[in-house]
Amino acid sequence: MEIQLAWRLFKRELQRGQLGLIVLAITLAVLSVTGLARVSERLQVAINGQASTFIAADRIINSPVKIDESILVKADELGLNRVSSMKFNSMVFAGQKFQLVTVRAVEEGYPLKGKIELNKKEEEHDSALPKAGHLWFESRLGGLLAYPNALELGDRQFNLSAEIARLPDAGFNPFASAPLVLMRLEDVASTGVIQPGSRVTYLAQFSGNEAQLAQFEMYAKPLLNSSQRWVDVRSGDSPIASAVKRAERFLLLASLLGIALACAAIGIAAQRYCQRHYDVVAMLKTFGASVKQIRTLFGIHLLLVTLFGVILGLIGGFTLDAVITSFLPIEIAAYSPPLMRPILLGLGTGFISAFMFSAYPLMRLLSIPPLRVLQRQLEGVELGMWLHVLLSIIAMAMLGYLYSQSVQLTLIVLTGVLLLGLLLSGLGFLMIRAGHSIGMKTTNPLQLALAGLRRRAKHNAIQLVGFSSALVLLLTIFALRQDLLSEWQNQLPENAPNYFLVNIAPDESVPLSDFLVKNRVKTTDIYPVIRGRLSQINGEELISSEQADEGVAGRRGISRELNLTWRDQLPENNELIQGQFNAEDNDVSVESGVAERLDIQLGDSLTFVIDNQEVTVNVSSIREVHWETLQPNFFMIFTRRTLASFAYTSMASFYLDEEKSEVILQIIKQFPTVSIIDVGNMVKQLRQIIDQVSLSLTLVLVLVVLSSSLVMIAQTEAGMATRQRELAVLRTFGASGWLLKMATGLEFALLGGIAGLLAVIVAEFTLYLLKTQVFELNIYMHWPWWGIAPVCGALTVALLGGWRCRQLLQKSCSELLKFTT
Amino acid sequence: MSKNSVITVKALVKSVATQEGELTILNGINLDVKCGESVAILGPSGSGKSTLLGLLAALDSPSSGEITLDGEALQLMAEEGKAALRKKSVSFIFQSFMLVDTLNALENVMLPAELAGIDKAKEKAQTMLTRVGLSHRLTHFPNQLSGGEQQRVAIARAFICEPKVLFADEPTGNLDAVNSQKVADMLFELNKESDTTLVLVTHDLVLAKRCERQLLMNSGELTEESRLFKLDESIETSTDLHRVEVN
Repeated sequence: MEIQLAWRLFKRELQRGQLGLIVLAITLAVLSVTGLARVSERLQVAINGQASTFIAADRIINSPVKIDESILVKADELGLNRVSSMKFNSMVFAGQKFQLVTVRAVEEGYPLKGKIELNKKEEEHDSALPKAGHLWFESRLGGLLAYPNALELGDRQFNLSAEIARLPDAGFNPFASAPLVLMRLEDVASTGVIQPGSRVTYLAQFSGNEAQLAQFEMYAKPLLNSSQRWVDVRSGDSPIASAVKRAERFLLLASLLGIALACAAIGIAAQRYCQRHYDVVAMLKTFGASVKQIRTLFGIHLLLVTLFGVILGLIGGFTLDAVITSFLPIEIAAYSPPLMRPILLGLGTGFISAFMFSAYPLMRLLSIPPLRVLQRQLEGVELGMWLHVLLSIIAMAMLGYLYSQSVQLTLIVLTGVLLLGLLLSGLGFLMIRAGHSIGMKTTNPLQLALAGLRRRAKHNAIQLVGFSSALVLLLTIFALRQDLLSEWQNQLPENAPNYFLVNIAPDESVPLSDFLVKNRVKTTDIYPVIRGRLSQINGEELISSEQADEGVAGRRGISRELNLTWRDQLPENNELIQGQFNAEDNDVSVESGVAERLDIQLGDSLTFVIDNQEVTVNVSSIREVHWETLQPNFFMIFTRRTLASFAYTSMASFYLDEEKSEVILQIIKQFPTVSIIDVGNMVKQLRQIIDQVSLSLTLVLVLVVLSSSLVMIAQTEAGMATRQRELAVLRTFGASGWLLKMATGLEFALLGGIAGLLAVIVAEFTLYLLKTQVFELNIYMHWPWWGIAPVCGALTVALLGGWRCRQLLQKSCSELLKFTT
Repeated sequence: MSKNSVITVKALVKSVATQEGELTILNGINLDVKCGESVAILGPSGSGKSTLLGLLAALDSPSSGEITLDGEALQLMAEEGKAALRKKSVSFIFQSFMLVDTLNALENVMLPAELAGIDKAKEKAQTMLTRVGLSHRLTHFPNQLSGGEQQRVAIARAFICEPKVLFADEPTGNLDAVNSQKVADMLFELNKESDTTLVLVTHDLVLAKRCERQLLMNSGELTEESRLFKLDESIETSTDLHRVEVN
C-alpha cells in the first residue's frame, strides 16, 4: 500500500511541479559530480598526455648510478613500457676541430611519449633512432664543426646522419653550452668514454596506465636514494608542472565547493519539501496511519524523488561531457574514461546528499502530531539544530571524501564551510538587529521592508547565510579562475618568444641587433652569460650532493656550474622578496628557491670560481623567479662591474612570425657561430595545455554559478513561505499589489545587498588564504567587487523575491488566505 | 461503560502551560454518547470545543480523567495504539476540508481505505463519490473544486471506511448558506444510512438542531442544553443566519 501511495504522491507532485526544487537540486549535485568527474578525467588524461611528451614518458627515474635491476624488473612485471638511456658530456672531434657535447644514448623504443623533431622530414629517415654507428646531432653542432660527415667520439668514429631540432625531453634550457648528440645505447661501450668514476646520468623512462604507474611508484619510490630523482609531469622541472598542479588543485577545490553548494540547495529544498508535507502527515495520522507506515511511505517517496533526480543528473552529466568533448581535439575526445567511477560518484552523491540533508526535516515531519488537523500551528518536535548541523557535516564529509579521496582536503573544505556559516550567520544577525524597529505602515514600502527584515531577524539571518555563501563561493572561484588564466596568459603572451639566440660573441651583439632591427624583429633584452661554480658560502667550502652521499661532512652546494649574468635592473618577470637589487658593485641577487635550499641569507658572502678566478660577492637581494615563463631566468644576477671583465657570450630571444622564417636562414648564414633554438612547437604545445585547462576552469565556474543560483532560488522560495501569511493579511487590508511587490522586493534587495557586502568581505579573506597557502598567486584587493557584489546581490535577490511575490499576488485575496491556512 | 455507549468520558481535565501559568481548558467533563447517536457540541470560540473533539477522537491526551472510545481506554494507550483505533473506528470531517491538494478527488477518498487495507478501495471510493453527487469530478484536484464540492469529497472520504464514530469540526464553517445546507443534508443522510455515531462541533444552531443531542461548552464545562432552540426558533427560518454565536 505504502509503495502505491508513495508512487501516486510522487507522480502527482511531479506533475504539479511541487518537486521541482528538490529534484533540480539533486540533479545539479549529481550532474556536477558526474560531469566534472568525467570531464576532468578526460582533460586530465589530455593534459597529462600533452605534458608527458615534455618528459617523453609518464615517469622517469634519474640517477647518477646504474638503476637497481629489481626496479626495472618490477616495471616489466607490471607491464609498463620502459626505455633506458644515459647522458654524459664528452669531447667530439672532426678533423682538427673539437667540441664538448652532451651525449644522449638511448635504446630502441625511445621516446615513449612525443617524438624527436628533425630538421628534415622524418620520413626521409628509415628508422626512428640513429642506426648503429650513426649519430644524430643538434643543428648548432654542425655550425661549430663546419658540417662534417663524421666525427669521433672516444675510440670510435660515427657517421652524422640527421639534424635534430628538438628532443621531446630536452627541456627548455637555452643555456646548454654543449650541443646535443643522440646515439644508440649499445654503441656506448665501443667508444670507451665511460670509465669508472665518469659522471653519467642514467635515465629509466616508463609509460603505462595510471593504475600500473601508481603501483610502480609505490614500489620504486621508497627504494631510491637521495641522489636519485623520481620525475613525473608534476615534478618541478617540467615546464608545465606548475600549471598542471595549480589546475588540479583548482579543479578539485572548485568541484568540492560546487558540491557543497549543491548540497546546500538540497538542504534548503529538503526543508521545504518536508514542510509542505506537514498537513499530509497530520492527516494520515488522523486516519490511523502508523508511524511505520508513514516512515515507509515518505522513505519510498524520497527514494523516488532522489532516483528521479539522480537519473536526470546522470543524463545531464553525460550530456555535459558530450558537449564539452565536442569542443575538444579529436585525439582527446576519442579517449573514453571508465564509466563506473562517475556513475558511482553520481549515485553516491545523490543518495547521500538527499537522505542525509533530509534526515532532520524528515524526523520532524514524522513527529508531526495528528492534532495539527485541528490546531494548525502545531509542528513536529524540535530535535535541536545541532543534530541537523551534525548530519549535514557528516554528509558533506562523506561526499568530500568520496570525490577527493583526500581526508586533508575534505577537512579543510569542511572547516572552511563551517567557519563561513558561523561567521556569516553571526555577522548577518548583528547587521539585521542593528536596524531600527519601524512599524508596519502600509503606505511606505521601504518602512514595510525594514520592519519585515527586523521582525524576521532570525529567519533572515539564516537566509543571509544561504545568499552570502553562494556569493562568496562564486566570487572566490571566479577570482581564482581569472587569476590563474591571466597568470598563464602572462607567461605565454601572444608574442611569446619562439626563438632563442645563444653563443652571441661580444663583437657580434651590435651587428646582430642591427640585422634584427632591419628585419623588424623585436628581441628581448640581451643577457650576457658567464659560467661559474659556487664554491663557498661565508668562507665555508661547499660539497656536492654526491660527496654528501658518500659521507663527506660539510655544507652542501650546487654540483654543477651555474649560468651567471649581470643586470642593472631587476628583470621584468622577477619579483624582489628581500633586500635591494644590485645597489653596490659587489652585490649579487639570489633566486629564492636556491637561497632556501642552500640556506643563503641577505648579507651572506658567496664565493664563485669563474675562469679559475675566485670572485666574492655579498647577497643584497632575494628574488622570486617564475621558471615556467619561457624567458631567460638566472639563479644569480651580478653587477656589471663584477663580471664585465670575464669572457662572455650573450643570449637573446625573440618572436618571429612563421611567414618570416627566411630571417632564420639569413641569421644562420650571416652569424654562423650564433646558435638558434626553435621553441615554437613547445610554445604551441604549452598553449594547447593551457587552453584545455582553461576550458575545465570555465566549466567548473559555470557549474558553480548554477549551484549558487539554485541556492539563491531555494532560499528565496523558503523566504516567501514565511511571508505568505503576512502578504495575505496585508492584501486583505487593502495594501496595493504595487506596495506589496515593492516592499517584498525591497526587503529581499536589502537582504541581497547585505549578503553581497558580507560575501565580498569573506571572499577577500578566503582568497587571501587560498592564494597564499594553496595557489601561490599574487594578492590584491578586488575593489570593484565592493560596489558590484552588493548591487548584484540586491538586484538578483530582489528580482527573485519580486517574481515570487508577483506569482502570489496574481491570486485573489480569498485564494491567498486559503493558501496560507 | 453502559452496553451501547461508544464514548464515555469521566472527570476529563485538560490544561496547558502558558507564560502566565497553567491554563485549564477543560474542567471535569463527563459525557456518555450512545452508538448511532448524533451529538452537537456548541459554544463560544475558545470555550474548548475543538480541544474536547481532539481528545474524544484520540488525537490528543488528557491531563487527567478517563476517555473510553469504542471500548478502549484512551488514557492507557500509546500513540500507535490510538492510531490503530482511529484507523478501525473513527473518521473525520474538517472545516478546512483537509484534502491532499496533489491527489485528485478519487485518490483523496481512497486514502483512508488504503491505509486501513480495505479491498477494492477504488471501486468503493467511486461509489462514495457518486453517492455525494461527484461522479463527474473523480479526477479533479481540490483546487479545481468549489468549497462545497471539496467538503463533499471529504464526506465521501469520511464514510468510506464505515466508521463507528464520525467527528466533524465545523463541517459547514467555510461554506455559504446553500452549500452548507447541501453538505449538511448529505452528512446526516449518510450518517443515518450507516448508523454512525456523529460528534459535531459547530457554531451553527440550525446544524446543531439536526443532531439528537446538543451540548453547550462554556469556559471548559459541558452542559446538556435544549433551551437553545427555543431561543433560536425566531431565527431558524432566517436565510442568512445559520451561524449564531452562543453567548
